[in-house]
Amino acid sequence: MICLAAVALGVAGWARVRSPYETEQGWVQHQPVPFSHKHHVADAGIDCRYCHTSVETSANAGLPATHICMTCHSQLWTGAEVLAPVRESMATGRPLVWHRVSQVPDYVYFNHSIHIDRGVACVECHGRIDTMPLTQRAKPFQMQFCIECHQDPAPHLRPPDKVTQMEPLPWSEADKRRYGARVMAAHSIDPKTLVNCEICHR
Amino acid sequence: MNGGRTLDAALSALRDANGRAFWRGLDDLVARPDMRDRLAQAFPAIAGAGADWRRRDILKCLGGALAMAGLDGCERSPDEDALPYVVQPEGETPGIARHYATAVEMDGVAQPVMGRTRMARPIKLEGNARHPASGGATDAFTQAALLDLYDPERSKAPLFKGDEIDWARVDSAMASLRRTFDRTGGAGFRLLTGPVGSPTLLRQIGDLLARWPEARWHQWSPLPRRPHGLRLEQAQIVVALDDDLIGPGPFQTFHARGWSERRRNYQAGQGSASMFVAEPSPTITGVTATDRLAVRQDRIAILIAALEAMVGSGDAPAGLNTREAAWVQACAAELNRHRGQGLIALGAHHPPASHRAVRRIAAMLGNVAANPAPEGPGSGDIRALSSDMEQGAVAALLILDANPAYADPAFATAMARVPECIHAGLHADETAVHCRWHLPLAHGLESWSDGRCADQSAAIIQPLVRPWLAVRSRHAVLANLTGDDRPDRAIVRATWGLDDAGWRQALLSGYVAGAQASPAPSEPPATDDGEAIPAAGEGLSVIVRPDPCIWDGRFGSNPWLQELPKPLTKIAWGNAIHVSPALAREQGLANEDVVRLSIGGRSVEGPVWILPGQQRDTLLVHLGHGRSRGGRVALGVGFNAWPLADASGPVTIEKLGRTEAVVSTQHHFAMEEDEFVRFVDAAGDKLPKEPPRSSFFPPQRSSPAWGMAIDLDLCIGCNACVVACVAENNIPMVGKDQVAMGREMHWLRVDRYYQGSPDDPTHAFQPVPCMHCEDAPCEMGCPVNATVHSPDGLNLQVYNRCIGTRTCSAYCPYKVRRFNWFDLTGGDPPELRAARNPEVTVRGRGVMEKCTYCIQRISAARIEAKKQDRPIAEGEVVTACQAACPTQAIVFGDVSRDDSAVSERKGNGRDYDLLREANTRPRTTYQARIRRGDKA
Repeated sequence: MICLAAVALGVAGWARVRSPYETEQGWVQHQPVPFSHKHHVADAGIDCRYCHTSVETSANAGLPATHICMTCHSQLWTGAEVLAPVRESMATGRPLVWHRVSQVPDYVYFNHSIHIDRGVACVECHGRIDTMPLTQRAKPFQMQFCIECHQDPAPHLRPPDKVTQMEPLPWSEADKRRYGARVMAAHSIDPKTLVNCEICHR
Repeated sequence: MNGGRTLDAALSALRDANGRAFWRGLDDLVARPDMRDRLAQAFPAIAGAGADWRRRDILKCLGGALAMAGLDGCERSPDEDALPYVVQPEGETPGIARHYATAVEMDGVAQPVMGRTRMARPIKLEGNARHPASGGATDAFTQAALLDLYDPERSKAPLFKGDEIDWARVDSAMASLRRTFDRTGGAGFRLLTGPVGSPTLLRQIGDLLARWPEARWHQWSPLPRRPHGLRLEQAQIVVALDDDLIGPGPFQTFHARGWSERRRNYQAGQGSASMFVAEPSPTITGVTATDRLAVRQDRIAILIAALEAMVGSGDAPAGLNTREAAWVQACAAELNRHRGQGLIALGAHHPPASHRAVRRIAAMLGNVAANPAPEGPGSGDIRALSSDMEQGAVAALLILDANPAYADPAFATAMARVPECIHAGLHADETAVHCRWHLPLAHGLESWSDGRCADQSAAIIQPLVRPWLAVRSRHAVLANLTGDDRPDRAIVRATWGLDDAGWRQALLSGYVAGAQASPAPSEPPATDDGEAIPAAGEGLSVIVRPDPCIWDGRFGSNPWLQELPKPLTKIAWGNAIHVSPALAREQGLANEDVVRLSIGGRSVEGPVWILPGQQRDTLLVHLGHGRSRGGRVALGVGFNAWPLADASGPVTIEKLGRTEAVVSTQHHFAMEEDEFVRFVDAAGDKLPKEPPRSSFFPPQRSSPAWGMAIDLDLCIGCNACVVACVAENNIPMVGKDQVAMGREMHWLRVDRYYQGSPDDPTHAFQPVPCMHCEDAPCEMGCPVNATVHSPDGLNLQVYNRCIGTRTCSAYCPYKVRRFNWFDLTGGDPPELRAARNPEVTVRGRGVMEKCTYCIQRISAARIEAKKQDRPIAEGEVVTACQAACPTQAIVFGDVSRDDSAVSERKGNGRDYDLLREANTRPRTTYQARIRRGDKA
């Protein structure tokens, strides 16, 4: 009886830890402006790097400064009610306060630039952001998720010029593997070293 | 420990020892205490527990811990906000550090640094490698200046009679002062500053005095100091007479760098690097010397006379004891051997006659007159000011960044007679409470200024961050008085008269090219002395010195420096009355006995601490403690020794029959017996070859393979590495009570060992970071695999896996692991959070931590190298301790490459593993100290 209860407790605990309640997968955060990636990426065709300017050079992808929003919105939708906080930020010099959607714990050190450099596409971690009217976390940002890719990165790699492309490449599984293997050989990437603790924790 | 008996026991134990034994403190020498006592010394935390525990208590605790452990796992990471810029500054990229060349001033001497900022927050200071006076190194004070910037208890607004006011009121008060003194030509206006090195400040003061010819400027330096640094790198022999050349102070980095350069040349077989030191109490310089003589302070003049006679006419010195005579003879012989290439330095606190004599000796030997007249302590100056104040001759006194009321209570009394007292400083300190006005000064890292470095080169000080408090720079405070409303930057720039390109270049490099002030010409030595040598006194002699960690008290509010174990005594958080072992035995004194030390009519009370190597009749006290204001950190720490600073008269000590705890880390994290520090006799000598030890495990081969080499011949125990490590790795401070329990968190400790007789032992320093053993015992002990090995040879600590069993620490033979007994960081105010390095995890309660070889720097280099598809270059990764080290004792790099600096060091024949019998194959190894400094 006790054994059964323990097993049930264990299963329930495991299920909870993997559930969206814990991973926040698919959850939408309240934001000061109901920013739509769907509109900006899919409809307007703006590249990720127009706003997330430091994704290729820095550990942080960078959230756009209010000034970047206003490059367009000083011309477009200048009177829109939903954009009032952006205009106010520009006028007062106070930053917009966004609520983070994608975040890893403080003891995890994720570096965007090296992932982009090696050809890990944005969509691998952030999902089809071009289909999200309101931004949500697409993948469970738990260690298991990171490790799966670090153990076997080959099928997740793309040519560098395709990293910001949201649509899947017209490649078969075998194509992906073949390309991935080539990249790994060229950069001498050893999956064995990719799962070392110090790669992410310090 | 019990004074006399212990010392007798210690001496007899030494006689029986085989001569190689090392000891940390005198208690080490007595007949071995039982296991429990030894444990209590090394691990005070364990000693406290276990006395009153019953079975039920233990079960309750276990149950509680189990329940808590379960709850801990349910925590979901909290939601976070993200605040992007409104307009992103040009060149600023979130996640990438920016560096600015600037300088930190100490006692009017600028220490050139490169400030690292992240999103406009200064997070670390490194030496400015491009500046001629720094070479990239820093001292402990400079490293800790960062924390002063973020001090939560800095003055935040101007005060008028203790009430907060705004600057507009200050402005109008200054305007009315200006009108008054413009009428009277400044009659009755006095300006009091500390030592001033900044050319802009000098120019401003000059302008002020030109405008108000009746005004007076008093420059007060509480401690006498030399005007500029000495070039030790050219000296084949250095003679330091009661002069802590490479010890703490504004010239430490410059001198230590020069000495190290000379010493490294000697190691390579080029020339000599002897150092002869005569001093009353051990200093860093003394214990580093090749020949050290413990001598009373008042016998230094006699030694100088003997040296002069010996060098001049070859007369055998008279009136000296055998040890002194031998020292003088050896010293004179070396000086003669290296005519024109020696250097004689005398402590700045010695009388002018002695300085003249030293200059005469230098002239006889054809040496560069390395001993310019020291700048007066200015105590005469401040006494004149004090008497003017008492006579009511002072109408207004502006005290700019000085704290005379703490050092001299009589000055505070005199201040009551001055109608308008204005104090400008970082803290509302002892002086501020006696002033009607207190103006909060901006910290040097948030203001424009300039300064002169140790070699008289100029440095431009540019702010790393805009002030977030209502503070003003010292230039702005003076400009306000004269009605100059230009911004600070314009005021500083006006001093240098550079065009745009020149100014930009000066800001980029941190110094003004070609603006080297020529040192004041040395006064020609008097040919005829005719001066009577003062006779040495009898009885006890008291020397009062600045604290090696908090100096004259100005760093009292800095916990990084308060918790820093003093180089020689390893005392943290406080001071003591240091006595020699012989005197302690004679007077029946033991460590921590409270005594009253009186000189003439003045006295202080404090605990005794026995200092091996101190001259028999000398008592040493450190200044800077016993603060009554100026930040919570400084309060209630130690006793104020300033009353003794210029006291004269007979010296007495009186035992008061109580004890007071002195916190010393000398027994903490003690390793089991070994020949910790090894010696060779002369340059080129090698340690005996030891047969390789067999191991069950195969050796690790990888590229890169990180390793470290620490040359004990170059280490001077200055603590710069320790503070650099604290700043880089977000190491929390724990406070006096916790340090007493052995819970200090420093990842890098500097052990100090003695060898030989307590009256005149050989000292040795040994910095001990994690050894990153290839066969690490800690990794075998961890039950949850939280400490593991990386392929490049790092012994990793994974905080999020650690459950705090502390098994690893028990298994570690080097005792380098530190445990977070409490949440030491969660309660930090926002200012201190801003000071943290975002590249390093802030550890929580209940996890183990230790030196990582600055893994964040390795990671940054690895990622950059990967992006460019190249291996990590030699010298690309520099650890924080290595960067700070003024003597380059620490070298880090890839041991798998034969051409790396670290491999070269390890191959020099003096390399050895610490605790070799543990057979852990450590990646950190040491190079033996060389006893001699001349050609063998």
